[in-house]
Amino acid sequence: MKHEHEHTQPPSDPALRIKALESLLIEKGLVDPGAIDELVDIFEHRIGPRNGARVVARAWVDPLYRQRLLEDGTKAIAELGITGLQGEDMVILANTPQVHNVVVCTLCSCYPWPTLGLPPTWYKSAPYRSRVVIEPRKVLAEFGLAIAPEVEVRVWDSSAEIRYLVLPMRPDGTEGWTEEQLAALVTRDSMIGTNVPRVDAAATGRGK
Amino acid sequence: MNGIHDLGGMQGLGPLIREPDEPVFHEEWERRTFACLILTLAGGQYTVDELRHSIERMDPARYLSTPYYEHWLHSAEDLLDKKGVVTREELARRAAEIAARGRD
Amino acid sequence: MAALPREIVATAIRTGASARAEVGSAPRFKVGDAVIARNMNPTGHTRLPRYIRGRRGVIQRNHGGFAFADTRAHGLGDQPQYVYSVRFEGRELWGPDAAVRDAVYIDLWESYIEPVPSR
Repeated sequence: MKHEHEHTQPPSDPALRIKALESLLIEKGLVDPGAIDELVDIFEHRIGPRNGARVVARAWVDPLYRQRLLEDGTKAIAELGITGLQGEDMVILANTPQVHNVVVCTLCSCYPWPTLGLPPTWYKSAPYRSRVVIEPRKVLAEFGLAIAPEVEVRVWDSSAEIRYLVLPMRPDGTEGWTEEQLAALVTRDSMIGTNVPRVDAAATGRGK
Repeated sequence: MNGIHDLGGMQGLGPLIREPDEPVFHEEWERRTFACLILTLAGGQYTVDELRHSIERMDPARYLSTPYYEHWLHSAEDLLDKKGVVTREELARRAAEIAARGRD
Repeated sequence: MAALPREIVATAIRTGASARAEVGSAPRFKVGDAVIARNMNPTGHTRLPRYIRGRRGVIQRNHGGFAFADTRAHGLGDQPQYVYSVRFEGRELWGPDAAVRDAVYIDLWESYIEPVPSR
């Protein structure tokens, strides 16, 4: 049986490997060099958690939007012009006083790109992927989030092509805030479910 | 497959480490790897399922110890070679040429 | 297979590529059904993790039909199946030391699960 492992070859520098691969792909007409730059720019600068924050803030101020969001996440998110790759089939998970939701992909790194951008390293790494399904409350505590024992914790393993976004509860003390002010409170981690939006954290600029 | 990627419930894989205000890409090679993989995927060279399975077949020790985008690089090299689109020989030759240019 | 030109990259990203696909038959399961994840150990690609296999859960939702990852990974075509959201209690997965109010929700293609016989 053929060994697929690379342990017989010395590992070589990824920077050199991608230079070689990219140059061959371009030479063979399989990749347009301009497309590389455009794609990197989209994901480095144009797509990110501010998209998801707009969705959450809209749901906080508009109960009918919230309803549409929970009924058909993809369609409601698209109302805000947010669509596309790794977000084609969205389901929104509403946190309530009785239920806290948190999302993972134990098998790889599936994540809702149009609403949150590309995932942080910790989300894709072995400790989070292995631990959050078996000891979620301990993992959340490490993020600074304590969940009361009477609150249910639901861990959503993105094992298929549905992508999940947590709709956190609106924090107290935000009555009368504008949508823009509310969106600024919504952290990436609160839409993954590893934290919740806090008024004081936003004020100090901490808490991604 | 019952591979190293199937991590749910495993223990002893280390502490949760989070980088505050982490950049989207840490290195230029990650940007290029991300882009080349997405563009070849969009170009129909493979499906996302094939890419995932290629990563699942990485050497387990390397899977756990290499940076995330090195998994992507592995799968692109593996599948493009298997499909005869860009062979490992071509890659090795080109890498040697680039390295030689760098030394001049 | 030509290179995606720069001008259409943004549109392509905004369009994406949904894996939704129509299934030609009726769903086997409905919301509320008790199911058990199969004890299957394929050497090829699957999206049924080991921690779920052989465990009992309850159907929460039918997401609709999707291309089947296990066949698509091996060039065997989309072969669409219904994908269900299934809830597994933490204690069912991990034993009595798990918090009583922990649960895992996971998306499973229809061929990953079997009905639990009703008494």
